[in-house]
Amino acid sequence: MRIWITGIGLVTPLAIGAEATWERLVRGDRAMAPITRFATEGYRAALGCEVRGLREATQAHAPNDAAWSRTAEMAYVAAREAIAMSGIDVKGRRVGLVVGGTTGGMLENEEVLAGVYADPSRSDELRGLLSHPLWATSDRLHETLGPFARVRTLSSACSSGANALIVAASWLLAGEVDAVVAGGTDGLCRLTLAGFNALAAIDPEPCKPFDARRRGLNLGEGAGFLVVERDDVARARKREPIAELAGWSLAAEAHHITNPEPTGATAERVIKRALARAGLEARDVDYVNAHGTATPLNDPMECAAIARALSPDVAVSSSKGQIGHTLAAAGGIEAGITALVVARQTLVPTAGLGEIDPACAGVSHVKGVGRAARVRAAITNAFGFGGMDSALVITEPELGREHAPSRRSVVVTAAATLTPVGLLGTHDSARAMEGDGSSIGPTLPPLESMLDLDRARRLDRPARLGAIVVGRALEDARGLSVERTGVILGSSFGSIDASAAFMHRIFAKGPRLASPAEFPNLVPSSPVGHASIYLGLRGPVLAAAELGASGECATMQAVELIAAGEADAIAAGDCEEANGIVERVIAALFASEGFSARGKHGEGGGAVILESEESARARGANVIARVTSVASWRAGDAAPSPPAPRDASRAQVISPRGLDGMGALLADSAWRDVPRAACVGSGGEHEALGAIAIAVAVSRIARGEASDVLVVGLSRGRGYLVALSAP
Amino acid sequence: MDESQLRAELKALIVKELNLQGRDPAAIDDDALLFGPAQNGTASLGLDSLDALQLAMSVEEHFGIRIPEGDDARPIFRSVRTLATHVMASRASAAAG
Repeated sequence: MRIWITGIGLVTPLAIGAEATWERLVRGDRAMAPITRFATEGYRAALGCEVRGLREATQAHAPNDAAWSRTAEMAYVAAREAIAMSGIDVKGRRVGLVVGGTTGGMLENEEVLAGVYADPSRSDELRGLLSHPLWATSDRLHETLGPFARVRTLSSACSSGANALIVAASWLLAGEVDAVVAGGTDGLCRLTLAGFNALAAIDPEPCKPFDARRRGLNLGEGAGFLVVERDDVARARKREPIAELAGWSLAAEAHHITNPEPTGATAERVIKRALARAGLEARDVDYVNAHGTATPLNDPMECAAIARALSPDVAVSSSKGQIGHTLAAAGGIEAGITALVVARQTLVPTAGLGEIDPACAGVSHVKGVGRAARVRAAITNAFGFGGMDSALVITEPELGREHAPSRRSVVVTAAATLTPVGLLGTHDSARAMEGDGSSIGPTLPPLESMLDLDRARRLDRPARLGAIVVGRALEDARGLSVERTGVILGSSFGSIDASAAFMHRIFAKGPRLASPAEFPNLVPSSPVGHASIYLGLRGPVLAAAELGASGECATMQAVELIAAGEADAIAAGDCEEANGIVERVIAALFASEGFSARGKHGEGGGAVILESEESARARGANVIARVTSVASWRAGDAAPSPPAPRDASRAQVISPRGLDGMGALLADSAWRDVPRAACVGSGGEHEALGAIAIAVAVSRIARGEASDVLVVGLSRGRGYLVALSAP
Repeated sequence: MDESQLRAELKALIVKELNLQGRDPAAIDDDALLFGPAQNGTASLGLDSLDALQLAMSVEEHFGIRIPEGDDARPIFRSVRTLATHVMASRASAAAG
């Protein structure tokens, strides 16, 4: 199988539309201008790269519809363009959607969040918060452009868009869908401007990637989505590829939450592995669209990595000198640009580059304006906070090798839970669901004794919960190489309370007093990034955002990446801290559905170690359970039918948030008469109950209390099945 | 406030703002390096660039002064002693101005 790129949609600060953006890129145009979307008094930089004319281009919804953020609007316009260019029929139900993001509806909610922080009793304007979570963008696209066969929302900070395309590739290789609309989207907001200001990472002038005088980045905004499609399906509908997505790789540096590894060792590793995936040699690569942020630390690291991994005359440019750093959108937009470079056999420049920094030498920089060139294969890099590095190889059609379908079987080798009952490993996690919670209460034991406080000093509470529970699971997966293991955690709402505190401080005291140490902790992928750094996990690292089913979604994401051969082992789960604002918002907005702020909102989490069966056996691991099925569905779809338990008399169904609807859901399945249990009540209600349920399921199988366990996670309009059985 | 009181206050601020849990502020040497590895027998707290930014912001807020950015800040941030000297001088010039 080959993966063809058959559609590109770009919303960038240069233009709305792929063709219009391309023309301006080749001309060397730059989009830096004073920011107009909000007042910039007190910020070190007033320049940014804003998207213009968006509202005229959308018409997806009524003006001021609180469910839509600017981030979602840009994603809608870009995804719509990509779908139209490709000509795929989404409604044929063989097309998936993957959205990468970091800020979601932050711009629309900054003032509301700061207001709620200052006055918790405030309940006006809360409806706008429905647009805030990352999954809200996917929901809007699913409603307006779908329905899609499978929907995923992920974050890995500034590599989110690239990782969306890697997830898409894994779906295609697994035969789950015929085509995927995948990319990233991010709107410019005060929070990111203040945060990068505080990190002294912003150049107050137009940025100068790779230049000796570079002082930092300019923030941009936008969305970039690609349609990637199986070649046989595209051929059957008589489509030509724009280019081919031939290779990809993702890995983590496990180094520092904001600073890249100075050696660029991980960046080099992902470039080489992406090339190997494509079956290509270094000399086949003619162009690299670099991450190239123009920060003092990124550019030399990246040039050194490229110089080591590829040939010294490879052409390199950074589009951030023209469109700024579009954060989660960057990986999607720059993949689109790279595909156009290959399709048009034309290089795009690094605008703003004058005098090349000697530390950025060793490659062939493209200055000034675009130019024609022979480009057989190209690479685009994307690196995110927390050291989440990705590379994509985009080539002329049929240059690299074909990809074999990949569906490796996945097993579980450990589990852990952190609940009011305590921190429990594989054997004891079954106890996390004991009791009704009335005698324990929603309070976790003190975390300090579970961590090396020196190394954990930058970890906020969600990150600590993640590091503790994943660390406990790793202990039980004895002998597993952390170097080769990834980690994927759920992120239901991101760090809402901390974001509210951060914005309140900015509004009250001015952006100059924004906290540089707190800012990186506001990215939804921050807890998982911290866990990777704290535990030394260097495999794939990202966050999965899926409302109250984020733990189930993270587990499914990990199973998919292992099945596709992207990693041999991944720790997957979800940890949630007690989240005051979320609880109040849900209670205010959904009182009629029975939600209330009962003060029972607890915290905790669960994680399991997933491994390819082959590598688990090869290392002599104690295999506890086999993942027999993972599936998701959306409201309006028929729920997928889980595989029958091998022994119904020893099977169990666990539904994390209660048993409502289970009877109807399982009525026609072999699980109909199997005993059911819920997690709610055993440690307060929170969004990580799904991850706890999965860990409990593994524990019950480990103890011989069950032969088969089906975890059914439901959360407003979406559902997940995770089926496990004894090996 | 005399300079030794100011140094004690800065040490407490460093421990709190940089979350150096379990560390006794009084045990921080006035002349220990704040950043990077120990040098020529001089101990270091081993802080990094993200700590430097957080500390600069906190000192600005706490003492109502401005800390220069970039390389100009390096000599100021050498140790608690150099930082205290800068804070004293900045306050004195603010009072005189």
